[in-house]
Amino acid sequence: MSKSLKQNIVAYGMVMPAFLVVMLTVAYPIVSAVIQSFQDEKTGEFTFENYTYFFTEPAQLQNLLFTLFVVFVTVIVAIVIAYLLALYLRFVKSKISKAIGTLYLLPRFVPAMCAVYAMITIIRDSGLINRIGLLFGVDIHLGMMYHASGIITMNLWFNIPFAAMMIAAGLGAIPDSIIEGARDVGAGKLKVFTSMILPLSMKDVVVAGTFVFMTNVGSFTTPYLMGGNAPKMLGIALFDQFNKYLDYNRSAALSVIMFLICSVSAGVYIYTNLKEQDWEKQ
Amino acid sequence: MKMKRFGAAVLAGAMMMTGLAGCGSSGGDETGSGTSSGGGKTVTLWATGSDNVREVYESLVEDFNNNSEYAGQYEVELQFMLSGTGTQTLTDMIVAASKAGQTNTDYDIVDLGGDDLSKVVSQIGEETFVKLDDSKLPNAEGVEAESSVATDYVQPYRGTTVVLAYDSEKVETPPSTWDELVEWMQANPGRFAYNTPGTGGAGDSFARTAVYNFMDEEAITSDDAKWEEDWDEGFQFLADIHQYMYSSGGSIVYPNKNQGTLDLLNQGEIDMCANWADMVLSQRAEGTLKDTIKIAQLDPALTGSFQSLAIPTFGSNEDGAYAFMDYMLSESAQEIMVKEMAAIPLIDTSNIDMTGFEDVQNLDVSDFRIMSIGDLSTDFNERWDNEIGTLG
Repeated sequence: MSKSLKQNIVAYGMVMPAFLVVMLTVAYPIVSAVIQSFQDEKTGEFTFENYTYFFTEPAQLQNLLFTLFVVFVTVIVAIVIAYLLALYLRFVKSKISKAIGTLYLLPRFVPAMCAVYAMITIIRDSGLINRIGLLFGVDIHLGMMYHASGIITMNLWFNIPFAAMMIAAGLGAIPDSIIEGARDVGAGKLKVFTSMILPLSMKDVVVAGTFVFMTNVGSFTTPYLMGGNAPKMLGIALFDQFNKYLDYNRSAALSVIMFLICSVSAGVYIYTNLKEQDWEKQ
Repeated sequence: MKMKRFGAAVLAGAMMMTGLAGCGSSGGDETGSGTSSGGGKTVTLWATGSDNVREVYESLVEDFNNNSEYAGQYEVELQFMLSGTGTQTLTDMIVAASKAGQTNTDYDIVDLGGDDLSKVVSQIGEETFVKLDDSKLPNAEGVEAESSVATDYVQPYRGTTVVLAYDSEKVETPPSTWDELVEWMQANPGRFAYNTPGTGGAGDSFARTAVYNFMDEEAITSDDAKWEEDWDEGFQFLADIHQYMYSSGGSIVYPNKNQGTLDLLNQGEIDMCANWADMVLSQRAEGTLKDTIKIAQLDPALTGSFQSLAIPTFGSNEDGAYAFMDYMLSESAQEIMVKEMAAIPLIDTSNIDMTGFEDVQNLDVSDFRIMSIGDLSTDFNERWDNEIGTLG
């Protein structure tokens, strides 16, 4: 037995358990779900019916568009606020910024369920804001419960700290010397930002954006507790198909659709990473 | 040296595999015959539901093991499956055990009710349960309640029903008929809610009762698909009252889950909702609901259900199971259920202390409307979601 062969066996042997677990628990269910999504519920014959349902049934199409709307608004608003927060934490050195720097990750440690209920008690039509308003004689009805605005607010609560953490890490990697260098040759603050900081942190912004996008496409807890009856987010629509209507073939098709939506963003993520490597090679 | 290390890796891998295999087989035993081999004394009780049901069952089991007439003779062990946790449900487990032809398992006695019971019976038949011998259940003599499914094979032990829950500060006299309810809704738009069917039994009951009020009385206990054709009138009614429901953010909303409407009622965002009598009364007793919230029943009544116990033929302690079943109909067990979950007792209440739960007494089980439409409920929920939920 040659030395390299032995090394190969050991190497593959060590990878094998992880590989098998992934195959069994990730790859196999995906393949079987894709197959099931093309099968007729009763006869098991090949059909596109399960997919056309989600694009022709008006209620289902509404669900899809509603989900994309909520997710895109969440991504854009979360990234903008997170970017501003990260910039502040990176470039402003004060007691306040230090305090914010230690506190802003706190929401990540609050269990999702508690956070959602906490938000509900604040924004509901009879909640904290309404009660404070009543003290001053104003009857405030935010109307955010069972509405897209409530879901988006909650999503921001979850995603801003996460996105800010990723972007702050990226900004932290930009050496002060580069900025000082640019200043030395006469670049103004705006110029430093647009031609140095923004391009250097763009990759982290895109990565943070893709992660926020993917986690929100399939979100369940928030829209289940805060969303209305129609339109619904896809996570709830999937729950309905699977648990309420017991239609496993349509559930499989909807899962594949959600998977494809997420894979667009995964594609962007991989593309940005590869592009970066090209740039580093030069 | 290299070879040795490689050998060690292989050995470690092999050990891990056998370890995993070991876990697998011991796990299998647990649901099989392993734990019940003690026989005679131990009775394993299987139940499912929300966490409050688990708490009640723990009190009951403790009382049975220590204070009942069977104390010392039998020892009940509780296996509780919390509902809605995504694990295999109790119905699936029983069906699987039966279909796999297992015998002498530790499914000695199981708690089933409503849709769970009809699901199990439709899949494996009532004969998989022991036909109950009344002579072994002396306490069952005064019990009139009968399960609509598998009547001779299961023993109801408590009841609950959906009622109108209302805030007595805002509503002086609650409606007593459906026409009065609609009049009240029209006079108070936005002050009534029922939860989305499929997310909680109260909403299921309200929507289904509303629809089945327009149909033959026999339809309410039939799972024959022909009745679906008669739903149209009832769905039109639901669509008609849609505009008077609770609204938020500019559109009509049906909250998810029973607790969703109850929270709205407690917060004063609505004045009336359909909800379970036991949920309302036990939360009021705990102080999480306002004292002013009361319950009332409509005529024709919103549907209720009995929770029952059954003894699978593939269990291993039939006598012990009978003992526990009999205990559940004793005055002390019924009192525990009244006090801890506001259950409606099925035996004569004259010797039961009902302090604080007088409302329960007014809910006569003989008026109970039991609904069992089996798999039609799936189509019903889908139609509701498509026709009513999307009205906006």
